[in-house]
Amino acid sequence: MSAKHSKGRQPRIQPGASAHSIGIKDRLNSWAQQHQLVAVETLMRLLTKPFGSIMTWLVIAISLTLPGAMWMTLDNLSQLSNRFQASGSMSVYLKPAVTDSDAQALLARVENMPGVADTRYISADQALAEFRATSGLGEALDLLPENPLPGVIVLEPELSLPQSDVIALAESLRGESRVETVELDTAWLDRLHALLALSERIVWVLGALLALGILLVVGNTIRLSIAARVDEIRVTKLVGATNAWVRRPFLYTGLWFGMVGGLVSWVLLAIGWVLVSGPVEDLAALYGSEYRLLPLSAGAALVLLLGAMLLGWLGAWWSVVRHLHQIEP
Amino acid sequence: MPMVRFDGVSKRYPGGTEALSNISFELARGEFAFLTGHSGAGKSTLLKLMLQMERPSKGQVFVDGDCVNTMKSSLVPFLRRKVGVVFQNHQLLFDRTVYDNVAMPLLIAGYQPAEASRRVRAALDSVGLLGYERRNPIELSGGEQQRVGIARAVVNKPRLLLADEPTGNLDPELSEEIMKLFLRFQQVGVTVLIATHDIALIERMGHRRLILEHGALHEREAYVR
Repeated sequence: MSAKHSKGRQPRIQPGASAHSIGIKDRLNSWAQQHQLVAVETLMRLLTKPFGSIMTWLVIAISLTLPGAMWMTLDNLSQLSNRFQASGSMSVYLKPAVTDSDAQALLARVENMPGVADTRYISADQALAEFRATSGLGEALDLLPENPLPGVIVLEPELSLPQSDVIALAESLRGESRVETVELDTAWLDRLHALLALSERIVWVLGALLALGILLVVGNTIRLSIAARVDEIRVTKLVGATNAWVRRPFLYTGLWFGMVGGLVSWVLLAIGWVLVSGPVEDLAALYGSEYRLLPLSAGAALVLLLGAMLLGWLGAWWSVVRHLHQIEP
Repeated sequence: MPMVRFDGVSKRYPGGTEALSNISFELARGEFAFLTGHSGAGKSTLLKLMLQMERPSKGQVFVDGDCVNTMKSSLVPFLRRKVGVVFQNHQLLFDRTVYDNVAMPLLIAGYQPAEASRRVRAALDSVGLLGYERRNPIELSGGEQQRVGIARAVVNKPRLLLADEPTGNLDPELSEEIMKLFLRFQQVGVTVLIATHDIALIERMGHRRLILEHGALHEREAYVR
């Protein structure tokens, strides 16, 4: 024993009373402080010793990047399809008997209709000349007694015009006496939309599976860290730690796993975007479009990060609930 | 109201062995008593019943007026904060300093850092280890480690101090020092119960003795030195 002790000083410890004099406000403060302390401590532990958990981060990040990338792609496709929808042009075929001057009069009227952005008249003769030039059937056409092609007005609706109004416009043109038929090509757009809806559903299913994967990975990592701290948990429970107190560091660790994984997946998505957006612009240029690949929207990125944190927390919770009650002093 | 009351307590383990049978006794507030008996007589079981580390098969255990065996598990942490425990294998954590080991009950109970620091120093002072705060317990001798364990048990100013073979690994001289330390806590009003099979030491110290033999309790009143 130390010299200090052998002097036989009386202990300064006083019993009981003051141990229970902590007020509600102090308790709240200390609860908040506890959270802050545990949050910082677990984050520092993760960041200063990243090698133990780097695999977990990467698995989370990749699991997030896959649906994130698909989401980004779909976002872009639906933006594109919106443009197509707005430019759903229509062909107004005139009756064979309609003369050029009648057609010009109709054209002038159609031009002034609400919702019409642009019109172009292709007379029957022009159409025949075009067909002769592109089809290579010139001599066969000469044998026909008269021009079989009708005159056409090609009509571009305004970009902002909703699809229902475009259809209404087509209907009203169909009612014109000089109009044979109106062709509005929306079938392929409908198919594209159906395809997009299907892809979106696939992204959700895939996302749900990968989310389950994240839960399992975080749960397993937390299980290992619980196993590594069994002694500590026993001692803390022995000196009066509540279950919440014991859970807390593990739940924060799960939260940080999710956050770091989410941030890494942002980086991966950004790299992917940089790699792909160049070729996409080149491709768009070949179609005469100035289309640019959109990055993941801020909202989606936030959802991704918060979702990852929630998943990390849930994974930790799942693991803690399963394993912690088995550890009793 | 006594600090501890056992009321017809039996403990039977699933295998069928009866560790304790029909135990009844009381410990008054501020009392100092030894719990003896050969190893395997049920001393540890009896201590564990007071912390709900075990539950009795029959009978009731009261600590500080609360019935422990029927206590909701959500309230058990608050019971354990009132009771300091010292083990033979001292249960220290070697991945942190002496200070952090001793401060643990205070952190859990939600003390402010300044107050906690003051109390940790006071507790270390009372076991003669002031100045050891930054050391790792693994560097310390067996007796010093045991005293760190005692400091941790008393840092929260418990009303009841339980010790399970606290001198098991120590030589007689150190054992006596440790026992004197426990006596000092009793002198300031803490109720102390020490389980030990070190009969020679108990004979020297006097005090009340609870003797466990094959699960049954015999009592020998304190005989004054």
